[in-house]
Amino acid sequence: MRTAVAVVVFAVLALAAFAGMTDGFRVVTSDSARRLAAVERPVAVADAALVDASGGVRALHANLADDGRIAIVDFIYTRCDSICTVLGNEFQQLQREIVAQGLQDRVRLLTISFDPAHDDPATLAGYAKRMTADPALWRFATAADPDELAPLLASFGIVVIPDGIGGYVHNAALHVVTAGGRLVRIHDLGNFRQALYDAAGLAGGARG
Amino acid sequence: MNRRLSARLCAIVALSAISACAVPPLRGWLEADMARHMLMQFPLLVAAGALLGASLPGPGRDAIAAFNAHGLAGFAMFLLVTAFWMIPRALDEALLSPAVEAAKFASLVTAGAAMALSWRAAPPVVQAFFVGNWAWMSAAVGLLYEDAPARLCNFYLLDQQTVAGRGLVALAVIVPLAWIVSLARSGYLADLLSDAPRRASPDACSQRN
Repeated sequence: MRTAVAVVVFAVLALAAFAGMTDGFRVVTSDSARRLAAVERPVAVADAALVDASGGVRALHANLADDGRIAIVDFIYTRCDSICTVLGNEFQQLQREIVAQGLQDRVRLLTISFDPAHDDPATLAGYAKRMTADPALWRFATAADPDELAPLLASFGIVVIPDGIGGYVHNAALHVVTAGGRLVRIHDLGNFRQALYDAAGLAGGARG
Repeated sequence: MNRRLSARLCAIVALSAISACAVPPLRGWLEADMARHMLMQFPLLVAAGALLGASLPGPGRDAIAAFNAHGLAGFAMFLLVTAFWMIPRALDEALLSPAVEAAKFASLVTAGAAMALSWRAAPPVVQAFFVGNWAWMSAAVGLLYEDAPARLCNFYLLDQQTVAGRGLVALAVIVPLAWIVSLARSGYLADLLSDAPRRASPDACSQRN
């Protein structure tokens, strides 16, 4: 009898632990957990001073508020030739779609490098040129103060680890951020149309 | 006297192993790779827990045994704890959050102790259930890790995930094999399979103690 009670107690404790770790049996990976969190419990991302491709420095939140448009944000490093290339392609398609759908006044793109040691303004400018980015629609920046990078990445849920051959491995997605600095949607690579649809919808409604 | 001394030695070895797993240089190295995290650090913590459990003095052992008939509660706990630490997000969170990391150490050590305190109390049929369940669970998770085309943990590389998956599958084969070999060596299998009409004693295992 006492053994049965012990087993039941363990089972209940385990159920609570599993439910907590999987957000109620809905996710098993950190990446799906942060997608869910963005929808259910959107929070403001950390602020950080960003230096852009022209060398200008402005805090992220001030930048978002000044611009007023919904931003679709991604994180890359310019030396990356794997997943960032895919992100770059998605953003190029997004740029074309924004124009095609006439959303220039409501949605814009922001690419943030997590490799400020290498990606200085000149490098970012070269990358922007390679991407044929339209500066009115698509800006590039990195952390002006490397110490502010970790909190910024953490607030987005981006984890960057060395790949062992001089580069980085990182989770990649499209992050929809309001002018108020809240991360409200995260979309997988390949879902750029959905990201744009969400961003346009948010821009049409209240600006958070 | 001799017994108490060896119990103390077990406890010292176990606590040293746990501390070694917890201090930064070794902990960082163990946790920098998914395969080392799951296939070296986890087993080390479980083994340290098992040593601690084995070195528990008589009264404590009896108190736990009262809640652990046939080792059922201990085995259940071991299965639940090891299943939990196979959730990819749990591995990420252990690296992100000191509280989760502490819970990981505590739960794996406790699971090891629970297994050590349950093993001898459990008749072979309970051991079979436990080993079998643990093995298929590890094999299933291992195959998932091995086959997943994308990274499941944000902190680990894809090739580490494949190695961790293969390692789990290997363990899922090795552990049941080792258990069968130990049963064979104890003479239990020979008894069970002999042609002589012999009534299998339900506590054949506990008599060995």
